[in-house]
Amino acid sequence: MHKMGWQDVIEGRPGDRVLLNGNEAIARGALEAGVRYASSYPGSPSSEIVQTLSKVPDSELYAEWSVNEIVSLEGATAASFAGLRAICVMKADGLNVALDFLTSMNLGGCKGGLVVTVADDPQGHSSVKEYDSRYLAKAAMVPVLEPSTVEEARAMAIAAFNFSEQIKGPVILRSVTRISHSRGLVELGKSVREDKTASLPAGDRFLTKTIFHMKARDRLIKAAGIFEDCGFNYSEGPDKADTAVFCSGTSLLYAREAIETLGLNDEIKLVKVGTTFPLPEKFILSHLRGLKNAIFAEEVRSFIEEGIVLLYARNNLGKICFYGKLSGDVAGVRGPACGEMNVDIMIKALAKVYGIHYEAPGYTPEKTAELSALVPPREYAMCPGCPHRASFWAVKTAIAVDGRNSIVAGDIGCYCLGAWDTGFNLFDTLHCMGAGPGIASGLSKLGRFGLKRPTVTIVGDSTFYHAVIPGLINGQYSGSDYLCVVLDNSVTAMTGHQPHPGSGISVYGRPVNAIKIEDIVRGLGIPCKIVDPYDNFLAAETICAMVREPGIKVLIFRRECALVAARKQRRKRRVYVDQSLCRGDACGCGRFCVSVWGCPGNIWDHKTGKANIDEAVCAGCGVCASLCPAGAIVVEEVE
Amino acid sequence: MKDPLNLAITGVGGQGNILVSEILAKAASAVGLKVTVGESYGMSQRGGSVSSHIRISRKSLYGPIIPKGCADIIVAFEPVEAARAALELGSPRVKIIVNPRPVYPVDVQMGKYNYPEIGALLKIFKEISAQALIIESTDLALQAGDPVVQNIVMVGALAGSGYLPIANEIFKKVITEVVPQKALRMNLNAYEMGFAKTNGLVNEAKSGVCPITVP
Amino acid sequence: MNNSEQGYGARLKEEVIDPGFCSVCGACVGFCPYIKTFGERVGVIHDCKVCEGVCYRVCPRSPTQYHVLRQEVFGASEHDPVFGAYKAICFARAGSEHLRSRGQYGGVVTALVTFALKQGIIDGALMTGGNFTKAIPTLVSSVSDALQCAGSKYTSSPTLGLFQEAVKEGYQKIGVVGRPCQITACRKIQKASEISGGKISLVIGLFCMGSLLPEFYSFLKENHLDRYERMDIPKDILFQGAGGDVMIPFEDVRRFIRLSCLSCYDPLSELADVSVGSTEHDPGWNTLIVRTAKGMDMVEKARFTGDIETKAYPPDLLNVLREAVFNRKKRVLECPESMYLDVPPREKDYFLTAGGDA
Ligand SMILES: Cc1cc2nc3c(=O)[nH]c(=O)nc-3n(C[C@H](O)[C@H](O)[C@H](O)COP(=O)(O)OP(=O)(O)OC[C@H]3O[C@@H](n4cnc5c(N)ncnc54)[C@H](O)[C@@H]3O)c2cc1C
Repeated sequence: MHKMGWQDVIEGRPGDRVLLNGNEAIARGALEAGVRYASSYPGSPSSEIVQTLSKVPDSELYAEWSVNEIVSLEGATAASFAGLRAICVMKADGLNVALDFLTSMNLGGCKGGLVVTVADDPQGHSSVKEYDSRYLAKAAMVPVLEPSTVEEARAMAIAAFNFSEQIKGPVILRSVTRISHSRGLVELGKSVREDKTASLPAGDRFLTKTIFHMKARDRLIKAAGIFEDCGFNYSEGPDKADTAVFCSGTSLLYAREAIETLGLNDEIKLVKVGTTFPLPEKFILSHLRGLKNAIFAEEVRSFIEEGIVLLYARNNLGKICFYGKLSGDVAGVRGPACGEMNVDIMIKALAKVYGIHYEAPGYTPEKTAELSALVPPREYAMCPGCPHRASFWAVKTAIAVDGRNSIVAGDIGCYCLGAWDTGFNLFDTLHCMGAGPGIASGLSKLGRFGLKRPTVTIVGDSTFYHAVIPGLINGQYSGSDYLCVVLDNSVTAMTGHQPHPGSGISVYGRPVNAIKIEDIVRGLGIPCKIVDPYDNFLAAETICAMVREPGIKVLIFRRECALVAARKQRRKRRVYVDQSLCRGDACGCGRFCVSVWGCPGNIWDHKTGKANIDEAVCAGCGVCASLCPAGAIVVEEVE
Repeated sequence: MKDPLNLAITGVGGQGNILVSEILAKAASAVGLKVTVGESYGMSQRGGSVSSHIRISRKSLYGPIIPKGCADIIVAFEPVEAARAALELGSPRVKIIVNPRPVYPVDVQMGKYNYPEIGALLKIFKEISAQALIIESTDLALQAGDPVVQNIVMVGALAGSGYLPIANEIFKKVITEVVPQKALRMNLNAYEMGFAKTNGLVNEAKSGVCPITVP
Repeated sequence: MNNSEQGYGARLKEEVIDPGFCSVCGACVGFCPYIKTFGERVGVIHDCKVCEGVCYRVCPRSPTQYHVLRQEVFGASEHDPVFGAYKAICFARAGSEHLRSRGQYGGVVTALVTFALKQGIIDGALMTGGNFTKAIPTLVSSVSDALQCAGSKYTSSPTLGLFQEAVKEGYQKIGVVGRPCQITACRKIQKASEISGGKISLVIGLFCMGSLLPEFYSFLKENHLDRYERMDIPKDILFQGAGGDVMIPFEDVRRFIRLSCLSCYDPLSELADVSVGSTEHDPGWNTLIVRTAKGMDMVEKARFTGDIETKAYPPDLLNVLREAVFNRKKRVLECPESMYLDVPPREKDYFLTAGGDA
C-alpha cells in the first residue's frame, strides 16, 4: 500500500522503526509528548514539522500557518499559559521576528511545555543568510537543545517539553538543515502525555516586569542543573586522553568519522554536548581537566567554544590549547565560522593538531582540472512558466521606458532570484522580509537632498501579510512616494506551497474566506491595481503609468504559481516554435528566448540554428510568444 | 560490503532525486542496515543541482555528508551532474551509473558556458572510475510510459548491478510502498527495465578495473 | 563615446534617450524585444549587442547627414537651404467639405492619404489617432480609419513603432504621416532591408516646431483642459469645445517642449514626398510643399479628381515662412546640442554668416 511520509509519523505504532527526516522526527516527538498547539510561519528547512502535524485531527491538535513568527509564538505561548503543550516552529531568520515577544515572555515565564523549534540553515542552502540562532537564544535567556541525529531529534523534542515545564519557561530546540533534511531510522515511542484540558484559572497572570529578569536568570540556573545529567551530554572513546573534541549537533558525527578515518580512536575523546545553553558546566569541567588539547566542532559559529573557553578562564585547569573557529583551526572552504561543517573540515583540523598528513581520496590534480574544465555551473533558475519571470520582465521594461533609472528594493521569497541573472539582476537591495517597502519609503524621502531616482519595491504575497502591511501604513502616513509591486501567486511557494491568508485555504486544506491584498491596500487609502503578469505588455504599461502617479501605490501581479497550476490541471496550451518564422541568428534578437528570457522551456536547437520549445518542460504560459519579435512562437489551445 | 558504503544520488531539481533516496534508504533499512540520508533540496524546484548522500553501514550511524573522495557509487540522472559529483566525491574506486541525457543549465542556454561534448564526458567517466554504467534511462522510461520515471529505471539499474547487498524483491516491495497506486505498474516496469540492463553484466566485468557500457 | 564593449542599444540609450534627444518617433520600436515604448517614452530594456544597430541606424537623432539623405531622396534636384528640395509650394485644402471640417486645417493630409489608399498607391498607412489628450499610433487601411486620425496631437506619438506590425500583417506599400523626425527616420528605415524598410512607399510630412512631453497630459488634466474637443496653436494655445473656447499663453506650456525638438533642424519635413503645414493665415487652408516626383504625381492626380484643391501662395506670406524657418535653423546650428547633425560647412555658413540673404 502506498504510504505518505506523514503517515509514519502519525499512524506509526510504538516500537516501529521507520525512516523519517529530522522534521518528521521532531513532529513525532512532539506528538508523543502530547502537543496540542502547533504554529509556524513556513521557512526552509523547518516547514515539514507543522506540515506533518497539520494532518492530525484538529480535535487532538490545533495547527496553524501563522502570518509571521511573532504572532505564531504568541499563539503557541497562549496555549502554554492555559497549561497545554505547544510548539512553535520557525527558520533562523524567524527568531528575529519573534524575539521581541520571546524576550518579554521569557521574563514572566509560561506554564505548559513550550518548545520553540528553530531550524538554522548553515551555508544558506535555502536562505539568504546563514545564521547561528543560539546567540539570540542566549540573549533571550532561553535554554537550547541541539540534536545530533534524526533519532535524537525525536527524543529531544519530548525532553524539551519536560524541561520547559520544569523551569516554567520556553526551551529552544535548534535544528539545522542537516538534521531537518536528513533521514534516519527512528524508533517510535508511545505517547507520554494524554492531557488535553486547557484551563486558565482566574489569578494566573503572565506579565512582564523588569525585576522578572531575576526569574529568567534563576530559570537558567535551574536548567543548567537539570542538564547536568539529562543523558544528552556524554563522552565517547578513551576515559583519559590528552585531546578532546567538544561537539554539538551533527558535528558529533563528523568528528566521530574524522577520528575513525585518521585512526585516532584511542587518542581522542569525543565530548558530545546536547544542551548547548546553558552549558552543563560540571560535565564539561570533568572532561576539560587534564586535557592538553581541546577541539571544537559545531555548526556556524563558536558558541560552545566561547562558553567553554570562558569556563576554562574561571577555573584553574593548567595549560590547554584550544582549536576551533576562534583560533581559525576548524575551517571550511569559506574559512572559520562561515559555511557548513563536514567530515573533511574535522579531518583537516585533527590532522593539524596531530601533525598527520592526510590525503583525501580523489584524482590527480591534472584529472581534476581536466574534469572541472568540462563542468558548467548550474545556477538556480525560476521554474518554467514562473509568473515572477514575467513580472520581472515587465518591471525591467517599465523602468527602462520610464527612463528615470528607478531603484528596485527587493524582498524575500522565490523572487529573491530577482537579484541575480535569472531575475535579470533587477534588485538593488535585498534583505529580510518586509525590508523592501521600508527601504522604498526611506529613499522616497530623499528627493529633498538631491536623490532623483524613484523607487519600486517588489514583495511577495506571503511576505505581504508577514511584514509589508506596517511598511505600507508607515509609507502612507509619512507621505512616501513609491510603487509597491506585489507578486501574488496565491501560496507561499518558496517553502513548499503552504497556504496563506489570501489563498482561501486553511492549514487543514479546507476553504476559508480569503483576505484579499487589494482590500487591505484600498482600506489604507492606497490606490491599487491588479494585472496578470502573463499579459506582459499591459503589465509593463501599467507600471509605467503608476510610477508617475504621486504618492504610494500598489500594483498586484496576480497569477498562480506555475507549479501549483501544473499540479492542478492538465496543460491546456501547447507552445511551439514555427520554424519557418524563427529567423535564428539572423534575427536581431540575439536568441532572446534562451539567452535573455531564460525560461527552461525555451531551448536552442544547435542543429537547425533556431529556437525551440522543450515541450516536456514548458508550462504553456505563452509569455515568450508575446515577446518574440518575429512572432515565431505559437500558442495553441489543446483539450 | 564496504563499510560504510557511500552512495551519491545526483541530478537536477525535478528529476525525482528525493524519491530515489527514500527508496534506497528504505530498502537498506529493510535488510537491517543502518542508514543516513543527507539531502539538500531547499531550492530544488528551481533548476539547481540536487544531490542526496546515502550512507549505509552494518555497525554505526554516519553523518549526512560523504567526505571528499569517499563515494563508492554515484548514481547520476544527468551527465554533467555525474561529473560534478565525481569531482567532489569520486576516486578511482568509484562506480558510476549515469543517464547520458543532458539537461542544459540556464547559463548554457544563455550562452555563457558550453556544455561538454557527451562522448568526451562518458570517456572520462570510464577513465576515472572503477566502472561506469551508462544507462539510457530516459529512453527506457519513455518505453515504460513516462520520461519522469527515469529515476526508477536508475534504481533498477543500481539494483541489477549488484553493488548493494539488497535483493531484487526488497526493492520491489519498497517501490510498491512509496509510489502512488495508479502509477505502480509503470514504476515497476521502469524498475525491471533498469534491472535487466545491468543484471549479470557487472559480475562478468568484475575482474579488475574494466569499464563497461550498457548499450 | 565609442566604447566597443557597448552595443547599439546602449549607445541609443546613452547618446539619445538619456540626454533627452529622443523625439519618440517610434522607429527603433517593434523589431526587437529590447526596445519598448509606453506613455510616449522609449526605453532600451537590454543591451543586445547583436544586430549591428538597426535601432541606432534608423534613429533620426543618431548621427545624421542630411545632405546624404537628400541626395538619396532627391538626387541632384535643386535644393533650397531654407525650404529644402521642392517642386511646388502652394495653399491647399481637401476637396470635401466634410473632410475639411474634420481636419486640423484644410484636411489636406487626410485627403491625400484617403486618395492614396483609394488609388492603391498605398495599401495601409501609419497614422496618429486619438485626440489631443491621448495620441494613439494607428495602422489604417481604409478611408474611414484614416478619417478617425484627423486632427493634430501636439504630443509625441511613437507612430513608427507600428511599422513592423504592418509588415507582419502583410502590408506591402505602407504610407506614413509623421513629424519631421519621423520622416527622417522613414528615409533611414527604407535603407534597412533586414527590417523590410523598402515597404515604406509614401511619406507625408508635417510641419513641426516641436512636440510636447507626456507631462503635458497631466497639465491638461490638472487644469481641466481635457474636456475641450480640439486644440490648436495659432500663436498661443487655443482650446475649442461646445461650451466655448479658451486661450492660454504659450509660455505656460513652453516647459513641455521636448529638448529633442529644440535641437531639430528640420521644421518642414524636408525629406518627405510632400510636406503639409498651416498657413498661419487662414485656418481653412494648408501650406503644401510638394517635393518628390512621386509626391508631385500624387498631388496632380488628387487635384484632377478633386480630392484636393490648391491655390497660389501669397508671396509676402512665403517670406514670413522663409524667415521663420531661417531663424529656426540658424538657432539650431548655433546651439551645440545639435551634435547629431552633420551639416556641410557651406550650408552652415549660409545660416551662420551675416544672416544669409533671407
Ligand atoms: C506636434 C505637431 C506640431 C506641429 N507644429 C506645426 C507648426 O509649428 N507649424 C505648422 O504649420 N504646422 C504644424 N503642425 C502641423 C499641423 O498641425 C497640421 O497637422 C498640418 O497642417 C496638417 O493639417 P491638416 O488639416 O492636413 O491635418 P489633418 O488632415 O487633420 O491630418 C493630421 C494628420 O497628422 C497626424 N498627426 C497628428 N498628430 C500627430 C503627431 N503627434 N505625430 C505625428 N503625426 C500626427 C495624423 O495622423 C493626421 O493624419 C504640427 C503638427 C504636430 C503633430
